[in-house]
Amino acid sequence: MFRLDADKTVKFCDGTRRRDFLHVGSLSLLGLGMSEFLQMRARAAVTDTGKDINVIMLMLVGGPSQLDTFDMKPEAPIEIRGPHNPIKTNVPGIEICEIFPRMARHADKYALLRGCYHSAAALHAVGHQLFQTGRLSLSGMEHPHIGSVLGYIKGANGDLPPHVVLPKIIGRTGGNLKPGQTAGYLGKGHDPFVLNADPSVADFRVPDMLPPDYLSALRVDRRRDWRSMVDRSVSKFETSQDARLLDSTFHQAYTLMTSEKAREAFDLHREDEDTRNRYGRNRFGQSCLLARRLVESGVRFVTVNMFETVFDEITWDIHGSPPFSPISGYRDLVGPMFDNGFTSLIEDLSNRGMLESTMVLALGEFGRTPKVNPAGGRDHWPQSWTVVGSGGGIQGGQVIGSTDKIGGSPKDRPVHPSEIVATIYHRLGIPLETELPAANGRPLPVVDRGVEPVHELFS
Amino acid sequence: MRWSRLVLTSAAACWAVLGQSATDIEILPASVELHGPDARQQLLAQATTDGVQRDWTSKAGWASENPEIASVDAGGLVRPVSDGSAVIRVEAGGLAATRTIRVTGARDDFSWSFRRHVIPVLTKKGCNSGACHGSAAGKNGLKLTLRGYDPAADHDALTREATARRVSLADPASSLFLLKPTMTIPHGGGKKVAVGSLEYKVLSEWIAAGAPGPAEDDPAVVGLEVYPRAATLEPGSKQRLVVRAKYADGRVAEVSRWARYSSTDGAVAEVSDDGVVTMVGRGEAAITVAYATSVLYARLTVPHDNEVSQQEFNRLTVNNFVDELVLKKLRKLRIAPSEPADDSAFLRRAFLDSAGILPTAEEVEDFLSDTSPDKRRRLIDRLLERPEYADYWAYKWSDLLLVSTDRDHLNRTALWDFYNWIRDSVAENKPWHRFAQDIFASNGSSRENGALNYFVLHKETIDLVENTTQAFMGQTLTCARCHNHPLEKWTQEQYYRFANLFTRIGIKSGDEPGDSVIFARAFGNISHPRAGHPFPPTPLDGEELALDSQDDRKLHLAKWLTSDANPYFARNIVSRVWANFFAPGLVDPPDDLRATNPASNEELFEALVADFVEGGYDVKHLIRRIMNSGTYQLSSTPNASNQREDKYYSKYQVKRLPAEVILDAMSSITGQESKFGGYPVGTRAIQLPDVRVESRFLESFGRPLRLVCDVEERSDDPSVAQALHVINGETLNGKLRAEGNNIAAFLKLGLSDRKIVEHLFLSAFSRYPTESEEHKILEELREARRDQRSGSIQDRSRRESLEDLTWALLTSREFLFNH
Repeated sequence: MFRLDADKTVKFCDGTRRRDFLHVGSLSLLGLGMSEFLQMRARAAVTDTGKDINVIMLMLVGGPSQLDTFDMKPEAPIEIRGPHNPIKTNVPGIEICEIFPRMARHADKYALLRGCYHSAAALHAVGHQLFQTGRLSLSGMEHPHIGSVLGYIKGANGDLPPHVVLPKIIGRTGGNLKPGQTAGYLGKGHDPFVLNADPSVADFRVPDMLPPDYLSALRVDRRRDWRSMVDRSVSKFETSQDARLLDSTFHQAYTLMTSEKAREAFDLHREDEDTRNRYGRNRFGQSCLLARRLVESGVRFVTVNMFETVFDEITWDIHGSPPFSPISGYRDLVGPMFDNGFTSLIEDLSNRGMLESTMVLALGEFGRTPKVNPAGGRDHWPQSWTVVGSGGGIQGGQVIGSTDKIGGSPKDRPVHPSEIVATIYHRLGIPLETELPAANGRPLPVVDRGVEPVHELFS
Repeated sequence: MRWSRLVLTSAAACWAVLGQSATDIEILPASVELHGPDARQQLLAQATTDGVQRDWTSKAGWASENPEIASVDAGGLVRPVSDGSAVIRVEAGGLAATRTIRVTGARDDFSWSFRRHVIPVLTKKGCNSGACHGSAAGKNGLKLTLRGYDPAADHDALTREATARRVSLADPASSLFLLKPTMTIPHGGGKKVAVGSLEYKVLSEWIAAGAPGPAEDDPAVVGLEVYPRAATLEPGSKQRLVVRAKYADGRVAEVSRWARYSSTDGAVAEVSDDGVVTMVGRGEAAITVAYATSVLYARLTVPHDNEVSQQEFNRLTVNNFVDELVLKKLRKLRIAPSEPADDSAFLRRAFLDSAGILPTAEEVEDFLSDTSPDKRRRLIDRLLERPEYADYWAYKWSDLLLVSTDRDHLNRTALWDFYNWIRDSVAENKPWHRFAQDIFASNGSSRENGALNYFVLHKETIDLVENTTQAFMGQTLTCARCHNHPLEKWTQEQYYRFANLFTRIGIKSGDEPGDSVIFARAFGNISHPRAGHPFPPTPLDGEELALDSQDDRKLHLAKWLTSDANPYFARNIVSRVWANFFAPGLVDPPDDLRATNPASNEELFEALVADFVEGGYDVKHLIRRIMNSGTYQLSSTPNASNQREDKYYSKYQVKRLPAEVILDAMSSITGQESKFGGYPVGTRAIQLPDVRVESRFLESFGRPLRLVCDVEERSDDPSVAQALHVINGETLNGKLRAEGNNIAAFLKLGLSDRKIVEHLFLSAFSRYPTESEEHKILEELREARRDQRSGSIQDRSRRESLEDLTWALLTSREFLFNH
């Protein structure tokens, strides 16, 4: 049989232990392919530090302007500083935009990384991919979302899926790139569970999670039994991997349906009205609330997409002219929406003693042009922007990195999105050299070699 | 050096002791010419017994019969001494062979060349890889081009950059270029080169010679040779590979040492850095060999240790050349084919694969009771004439051409024009080259020629270039847009030459909404981003058109695209059609025809392509060949020898049905049509021209978005969302409980449970239930109704139990999979 102890010493990429690789070669005879082998090895490598860490990742779709959120330049001329004013926070020396009054009272709980940048194309999906997968998906190789990697390595914690996306996958943002919210080459079996519903509507429930009213529990059970009966009589599918995956998805579906815990986790009606109002009665606010409930019930990674697209709705994408948003949208709608959702989440996690074990990240996909454009808006600017991190061991009340006088480029401590991804893996206890089976089973480390976590966050 | 009799004798004794004997020995390569004093040639001594080869190179005795011309060492490495011809002799195991080699220019002046020697050393050692100095930003101040695609820039970086003394002409040994990789001083990348190695010699002597740069007329590498190209070996054995580069000036030189190697199947073969393959398992693996921008592979096989009798091979009926070539591979690998599929399995599979529908219960009964010997062939002919055939393949080619109103490029008129052109082309079985010519060889109104909407859909030159090569040639060019593809044939210059064919396609609005007029513009070029100027438009590997030529560039492209000179055109469509029937395809994924992705059965692939071209690019002809083959008609039930085998077509590979096909089948079996917003009632999912049609079912079951040309955009992987949707969602439940559906009709007709069960099995599984299935199900149905309080069976509870049974059948593996 395959020796599990072998996986501690095998280093076939470096070619140092040929014999063990030979050993791996023979795994296929036992039906254990390269991918299974890598998975077992990845599982064995997880360190204790990340045992209990969960992650809530808020994707600020559209790309917030650094100059109108967390990297204000009040000294700069009007065409740079824009229409907003900074306000003081509860941490002396840290100022943020006036559109976040509630956040300002909790600056001790989060860190600001003001030197975020990337040098790839200024497309929304580029930033989405970089933050969620650590890489760009080119030529057909789709990299997996961190949450899917986590699920692939650690599996589910109880009845709920390990990785949930709220409320929907990011849709059209211009360009043909995918938003990086699947399990990519890890296979559909590790895709996130996507809510695909608006948790702020009055009769919110998870689509298809419960049988329709006209199906009695008796009939649901009967169907399940009869399906097994039909399947059992034909044996030719036993050796098909796809057929086995199909069985496992039905099994997971029934687990979700019959789990009291899962039902409760998704049931926002169990929250009192005050709480629900505090988060904001909108899609993002209620998604943040739902994210908290899911993490409390065992979900390891929740991704919240603040908006589904950047077209024809008010988002962070303030080009200033239709179909995009005007800059005034920040004060009127988007700012308060984020302020309420994010702050309530931090407050609740903190009050419940969960902030230490729950990392919350608020990530825009890029910054915006320092100079206000003729339409009164700002355009895409991946050269510099700010991201927010809280919990999971992140030392709050600090600012890491800074930008030049107009917020146009990082002055010190630039941080690439892949370093944020490395930071998350690091906190989750997944060593950065952990290899995943990419295209053709080629082993690929979770982040590119040489990419390091932002250690300052934890000091 | 004289041949020593003594050595020979003791060697012969050794062979006897080892129990290794052979019937034949051969020296590879077959022809050798050493040019220049630095030339070397590693020879291989290949012994053969019963078709199994052994690499005896290091065990054999080597001798030169003309040591004044060329010498050979104990390992078979030949060096030049003076010009002339020399006979090299090998003896082992009582066998002998000779090879005459020619030596020229043995006393010529010699110096290491930057392009031919220095860059390959850097590439082989990984210095210019993406992870080291080849990354876009370089590493620790030194930036090289990825795998040396721009030797001039690399030469500048190494010799001219002001900051560092990378190369010291005065004192070569103190050059950073030598101190770093040898770790004489700290080097982030570790020790890469040993002092005294050949690599060290190349680098140091090159510096000592004044570090000359690349010359314009350095001959380019035009191809590779690898020895042995194919071999059947023993398990656990080793085989050394010899690689030679062919240069534009006709010279051939060995580059084994600096080639890069990888195995396509690490469970079968492993390859070391210096090209020695170890057969670690059984099966077949291709060893990909890369040098400069050329790629080639050697195919090495270790047959499985199955005893397969002639009788077992005979299970695969030989109906045409497909079967002969599949059998040839199975014999070589010693894999027994599965049994032939029974009529039910064949019938269901044939309907689904060719027309995306299930046979009705009546069609199943008719076919099963038909006793004529050619009923399968006749069925195939009938299927290919059905309108559902056109629906199915039109959908497939709509996936290929990304037909969609997404991104707002096509309005509804344009969408329908584009789609109707595709469907009409399928219905009339338009030859594939004419299909492509409709797009590329014509101009005018898109209302008159719907194919022209291709250019309305792809407005950007880059999109056009990359989608066209992907859709019609199975080639991914994306990497070459920014740099020479590290493992690819196509260079960045070829990319921009090719792209320049697409730069003069003019589009203006026509007379009505949805009409666009495509015309040839007189101006327009795309510049090579590094060269800063455009290159003459040139098809990949084709004839260039002068930059100032006023010929329609698109027509030039069209002519080449569909000509015999373009090897990818026919291969691409054959691969795509084959993969509709067999998973995985001849290459996997089927739209990746790169040289680095060798076919599982190249001989079969080539024969199919030749047959397709000979048949006039006739897609139906190809489909008929495939469906009539004994291979396609094998059962999916595995046997002991082919359980894990999924590449060589020893059985029909089980695969999940496409989303649209499942939905349509659910509709037809329940008798309850789907409704799609904006389309008339009765439109089947596979008849939709657009993917921007709301359907929770299709979305969750993996309908592609048609945003990028990529077969993997469509997914057939099961997911939890799919399971939840069929268990609780409205799509299937709605069809089952609909008032006037088939279940209602069964009840109205007063059919017995037995009759209904039989009908459901016939329409869902294309077979009768077995006795035990029928027995169990009838009992369950009875049981399900007995629970009612009154004791009498209510119509309602009977109906519910039948709905539940139908649900169980329509979510079962046998239904959701093609098998």
